Amino acid sequence: MIAPYHLSHEVLERSFAHFRECGRGRRECQVLWIGPWQSPDVIAKVVHPKHEARIGGFMLDDRWINAFWIELGNTDMGIRVQVHTHPGEAFHSPIDDEFPIIHKPGFLSLVIPNFGLGQVGFAEAYLAEIQPNGSWQEVSISSRLALT
Amino acid sequence: MSDKDDPRACCETPLERAEADLAAAKAELTDAEREVGKAESEIKEAIQEEEHCHEFSVEVLYDGVKKKFEVRPEETVKTLLDKAINAFGPLPNPHMLSLYKDGEELGDQLTIKAAGIKPCEMLLLRPSKVKGGA
Repeated sequence: MIAPYHLSHEVLERSFAHFRECGRGRRECQVLWIGPWQSPDVIAKVVHPKHEARIGGFMLDDRWINAFWIELGNTDMGIRVQVHTHPGEAFHSPIDDEFPIIHKPGFLSLVIPNFGLGQVGFAEAYLAEIQPNGSWQEVSISSRLALT
Repeated sequence: MSDKDDPRACCETPLERAEADLAAAKAELTDAEREVGKAESEIKEAIQEEEHCHEFSVEVLYDGVKKKFEVRPEETVKTLLDKAINAFGPLPNPHMLSLYKDGEELGDQLTIKAAGIKPCEMLLLRPSKVKGGA
């Protein structure tokens, strides 16, 4: 059995705040949940990447990724979950499948419906996980994420 | 030594003398070939030694974790990329990952030397694009 990541309500609330402030109900938005490698099951921080976005998609800034990669190395942190919004229903699209920030079995991608304008939480959200063969599979949120 | 002093001159026919000269020349040729072979293997060893001396280490960073790799100048970036992908995983969908140096994506077919990779340098292993969409 896989141990769930532990994240605080604060991380979740900040994530929704980014979705609302950045996406404004008109564009998709992404945040990254990161944590220290010393405590691999802990999500300690939410990061809001520099990105371009439109109603049905987003793309991270290339230079930002380089700088962020180095920052992760300097702080001994790793990306645990990528979280992004969809305009309507939450699901994992072919673009979501193909272009994640981390390609590693067990990496998680959480999709929040309605641009994140709904109640802060996991209602109607969709969680997918990379399998050893590189495909994505839906997993139950409660089995992978524990709010503390 | 003049023909007059050469003991063979009085008793060898010209054909016998020529055959003796040929045998001597063949022996010299065998010696020379042996020397050439020896020199060639010395050159080969020297090249291998030089290549070994030029091996150096670099670091690759993926998802906040650094790993060290030994590289040689004439190796391709693809060789290092494959080693890194295996060491960090193996990671699925390796075609989505590249090595970056000074913010620039490195072409797979470049050699380590042509890519300008220096000893102790840190390279980033990351996806070329990160995006999503409904």
